[in-house]
Amino acid sequence: MDSYDASKLTPRQDASSRLKDFFIGATPLQKRLESVRKQTSFIPTPPRRKIPQGSQLQEDIDPQKFAFLLHEQWTLYTLTPLYKFSYTNFKEYSKLLNAFIAAEKQKGLAVEVGDDFNIKVIFSTLMGVKGTQRDPEAFLVQILSKSQLPSEHKEEKVLWTGWFCCIFGDSLLETVSEDFTCLPLFLANGTETNTAIIGTWFQKTFDCYFCPLAINAFNLSWMAAMWTACKMDHYMATTEFLWSVPCSPHSLDISYAIHPEDAKALWDSVHKTPGEVTQEEVDLFMDCLYSHFHRHFKIHLSATRLVRVSTSVASAHTDGKIKILCPKYFIGVLAYLTELAVFQIE
Amino acid sequence: MDETLAEFFRRTILKIPMTEMMTVLKTWNFLSENQLQTVNFRQRKESIVQDLVLLCEENRASLNDAAHLDIIYTQFHRHQKIWDVFQMSKGPGDDIDLFDMEQFKSSFKKILQRALKNVTVSFKDAEENSVWIRIAWGTQYKKPNQYKPAYVVYYSQTPYAFTSSSQLKSNLPLLGQSFETHNSTTSLQERSLGLDINMNSRIIHENKVEKERVQRVTQEIFGDYPQPRLEFAQYKLETKFKSDLNGGILAEREEPLRCLVKFSSPHLLEALKSLAPAGIADVPLSPLLTCIPNKGKNYFKIRDK
Repeated sequence: MDSYDASKLTPRQDASSRLKDFFIGATPLQKRLESVRKQTSFIPTPPRRKIPQGSQLQEDIDPQKFAFLLHEQWTLYTLTPLYKFSYTNFKEYSKLLNAFIAAEKQKGLAVEVGDDFNIKVIFSTLMGVKGTQRDPEAFLVQILSKSQLPSEHKEEKVLWTGWFCCIFGDSLLETVSEDFTCLPLFLANGTETNTAIIGTWFQKTFDCYFCPLAINAFNLSWMAAMWTACKMDHYMATTEFLWSVPCSPHSLDISYAIHPEDAKALWDSVHKTPGEVTQEEVDLFMDCLYSHFHRHFKIHLSATRLVRVSTSVASAHTDGKIKILCPKYFIGVLAYLTELAVFQIE
Repeated sequence: MDETLAEFFRRTILKIPMTEMMTVLKTWNFLSENQLQTVNFRQRKESIVQDLVLLCEENRASLNDAAHLDIIYTQFHRHQKIWDVFQMSKGPGDDIDLFDMEQFKSSFKKILQRALKNVTVSFKDAEENSVWIRIAWGTQYKKPNQYKPAYVVYYSQTPYAFTSSSQLKSNLPLLGQSFETHNSTTSLQERSLGLDINMNSRIIHENKVEKERVQRVTQEIFGDYPQPRLEFAQYKLETKFKSDLNGGILAEREEPLRCLVKFSSPHLLEALKSLAPAGIADVPLSPLLTCIPNKGKNYFKIRDK
């Protein structure tokens, strides 16, 4: 049986405080990362980025293979490089993680991992979810529960899904030695308790460190501009922004939805540099939206907090939640998120 | 002690939260330490209060003592009251007068008693040369209502006085007069600045004029009373884009922008009311927002004219 060291979480903590502890690093390396990360908000982001195109690699892969990753809401985390991780050990990892979860359940902690003890852990590679050949392969972890009842045919219910990827992560890949696998972007769907348990196992097994990835208003504006810039044959969803007004005694939310064709027309009028999005263009695009709103409502949206942007390509929330809708720009969206994750780690 | 007075004592003491009871009683300083020790503070509150009232009777407590206790309670709970601020302005060419607190109190009381036969006026000195004045109003024929007193807090070294009351409005001119007559060269002027009662006169507000204008306009639009409870408003906009920025954006586009704007809040109108004072909205507020109560609807379709 595995023995657990002192950094193990104590049994009495409830889920929310466990999640908090889980993210507070214990080792000196983790503490150093924590302090460095606090300074990254002052590092200026590049003034221009490429408009997402369909990735070349992606065309070789059947998009149906990752269709199940679309239209789901994922909670985002950054992940430091994994030490001595191997794609050939998936069977063993599945067993170890399964045992870990069962042990947690025994202690009465993992009460949300299915109604019975019969769970299955699956590690699998996600082929084609990368930007360049240099990017490590993305992989997926799923927790499934098997029904114990003999009458029902053994249907497997997915309790939790998490996947790890790296899209155009060159800047990070260059800094680490061969023992490390860089998959800085982690996306999870499922309860926070389960995410904490699985995260703890990864942290202990590969000496890595998870951190929630929040998306600030600045980056949300970039996303809105870039995704509006994407060429679409037809639009599945309206383009929508959500602001939260901080100053009221009662909270006030302002939702501003614009017909996607009109948003595109506005963007085309703003856009000057072919194939690229510049900071000036993003600012101007947002300013146009603000001034159109101001003309009607005399309210300065720029004085409030942008919390969510939603387009036909994807939608993102400031709490670090993402939903990707369009398969064509799946990689493009992940590329931007990887960039944010790498910034946060460095 | 007559019954109404005893009842007033009972109700006043009953108001005091148990956590503050000892502090308030000690501040009042009417019942001695020994007397307080005879009370069993572990009983039910009603019983404690009964015992305390009996002690008050023993000490032959008067209405004045009750009024003092009421003032102390109000001082402890000043933040639960709404205060209006008054500023006294001096006429041109006036000298700074020497202020005599006792003289002020005496003339203040005299004026009120002369004007209204039935009035109870009590004073308590407080920090920073201030005095708390409690006034219970009656009429020609009715005794003062001790349960709805007015409070005036006057900081003698400043031109400011704070008032709070449920029934003050009609008696305002009289109060004003009492200040005026005391010092014949000053006149009372209401300035609705909404200052905190512990105002430090050394703090200045930079854009006071602008802030006041915003408050005034907001008040004109929304009024003084709480807004009707509304949770959302929705606007369907089909208007052309017009912008002064960098001219030319969407200049050739004939079609309007199709937008849908939704405001939502647990209390929408109160939230909208707070936007201008917070600097998030300009005044005058947009008619699209202010017309919600007037038109009695919260779904709108807006098109270019």
